[in-house]
Amino acid sequence: MASPRARKSSQLRLPMILMGRTLRAKEIRFAFCLVLPALLIVGGMYLYPSILTVLFSFSKVDLATLSIKELVGFDNYRRLLADPMFRATIWRSLYFAFVIVFATIGLAFWIALLLNQKFFGRDVLRTTILLPWAIPPVVAGVLWGQIFHAEAGILNAIIYQLGLGSGTFAWMADAAIALHVIIMAEIWRFLPFVTLFVLAGIQNIPASLYDAANMDGASKWKQFWHITLPLTMPVLLPVSIVQLTWAMKSFDTIFVLTGGMEGTRILNYFVYMEAFRHFSLGSASAAAYILLVIKLAAILAFTLLQRKFIKGGVSG
Amino acid sequence: MIGKILGKISIYLQAVLVFLIVAFPIYTLVLTSLQYERDIRTRQINFLPSYITLEHYKTVLEPGHIVPVMEAIINSFLVSIGAAALVICIAVPAAYGLSRNRLPGGKNILYALSSVYVIPVALFMIPLFVMFVGAGLNDTRFGLIILYTAFLTPFIIWVLKAFVEATPEEVEQAAKLDGCNHVQLFTRIYLPVMRPGISAAFLYAFVLSWVEFFTPLIFTAEVRILTVALGLYRGTIDIQIGQLAAAAVLAMLPVVLLTILFSRRITRVMTGAETK
Repeated sequence: MASPRARKSSQLRLPMILMGRTLRAKEIRFAFCLVLPALLIVGGMYLYPSILTVLFSFSKVDLATLSIKELVGFDNYRRLLADPMFRATIWRSLYFAFVIVFATIGLAFWIALLLNQKFFGRDVLRTTILLPWAIPPVVAGVLWGQIFHAEAGILNAIIYQLGLGSGTFAWMADAAIALHVIIMAEIWRFLPFVTLFVLAGIQNIPASLYDAANMDGASKWKQFWHITLPLTMPVLLPVSIVQLTWAMKSFDTIFVLTGGMEGTRILNYFVYMEAFRHFSLGSASAAAYILLVIKLAAILAFTLLQRKFIKGGVSG
Repeated sequence: MIGKILGKISIYLQAVLVFLIVAFPIYTLVLTSLQYERDIRTRQINFLPSYITLEHYKTVLEPGHIVPVMEAIINSFLVSIGAAALVICIAVPAAYGLSRNRLPGGKNILYALSSVYVIPVALFMIPLFVMFVGAGLNDTRFGLIILYTAFLTPFIIWVLKAFVEATPEEVEQAAKLDGCNHVQLFTRIYLPVMRPGISAAFLYAFVLSWVEFFTPLIFTAEVRILTVALGLYRGTIDIQIGQLAAAAVLAMLPVVLLTILFSRRITRVMTGAETK
């Protein structure tokens, strides 16, 4: 039995708690109502169909009615992974994404360090650097396609004018070159976003650290390795993950520049071909899930790598 | 002293190089759109043109052109404004509802919504396409608006939530003590706080809808609702290099102008400086 005093106070408190609870319940209900439209539209449009494709990946699908003809287990996966062309596409996608991420971050660092210094016209450059971000990817595709155009391209014209050759080379007909033109177009497009974040990261580093380093007589290069780079790592991690998922998603530039020519396709494009050109939904769904797994593995690898790097940078 | 001058020179050289990397490709596109087709196809190039012609723009914008660029621009405006408005209506309340643990598990809900960005697009496009055909939503502007809105919502929630959470909690407590109920808390305290975020979010949503290519490629077949991004690759416009360049410039013009006009705000909101 509780003491009379405790009972009295608990009697007093009970209505208070109840009131608090109904208030909280009301608040939760209100918050839920506010969130509901977002849940419905995102869930209905994207999450529910995504789950539906889990089933598809294990079945033969009838396209017209979107119904499952028969369950085939892991057949779709097995067939894909046994296909050398599909395996080549996986490696190509990884190469594609990693080159884009590292090259963009390298370039962005250079530009951000430059923009961090005072010079005449810096504000103009800061606005200019945003431009590729504003350009629709399809326009970026058109633009690079025209530069590398065999007859009318500016690149061939420059080569001819400089006397470096006849200037008739069909750049985009060579899959290996075309792939790297696509990579270049994507790096160019991602540059503004990554530069902005790296710049913000650099500007958040306290100036006192550099003052101390200067007093110790540390060279600019050393300051970069031991202060700037480790301290911008926390920004680089989310940025590189976002960029990785973007790179894995590249579609417009490939579509415009090569029309998905063999040797320039990445996994995402492969899924599109399977689904909307060959109409084999089962195989497309399976390929899409393989892509998802690879993406998640790559994100995980990045997280671990950078976590290690941050620790090493701080202690070392 | 000499070292300092060399340093300055190196900075300016680098600045020029960065400027060229970013701007030169765009410049060549604009230049191509302003030259006659026969001059585009020669190997003689003048980076400073001796003349400028708007011929390609005129041709491309004429009614009855193979690719109805004028209609496509109007379509893109309608769809992008529609999507931006709808996503604001959905994301503003959601950003409030998902902030500060107002809803148990709010954080996880937001993560679940954001998983849309990791899932390969083609994954939901397949069943979605069949669903849309069934509902008669394919080949409609409204269908595109819904699709864009759904895809933009999680991102815009993130942007707006930063504004809600940058408000000191004391403000909220003070408002509650003054007898503000949670509905008023949302409408009187947080809506005004979100205002700069809302305009930035509207801008993002507009731009991202404008540039979208894959969705209309899958969900629209009729020329009647062609968007301008897709217009560059429907039809045989790409045979005419000058016309394609002109159409490409028209397709990027609105978003480029918006980006230049609002570059400060975009930079600040993107990097979180606006809420600090």
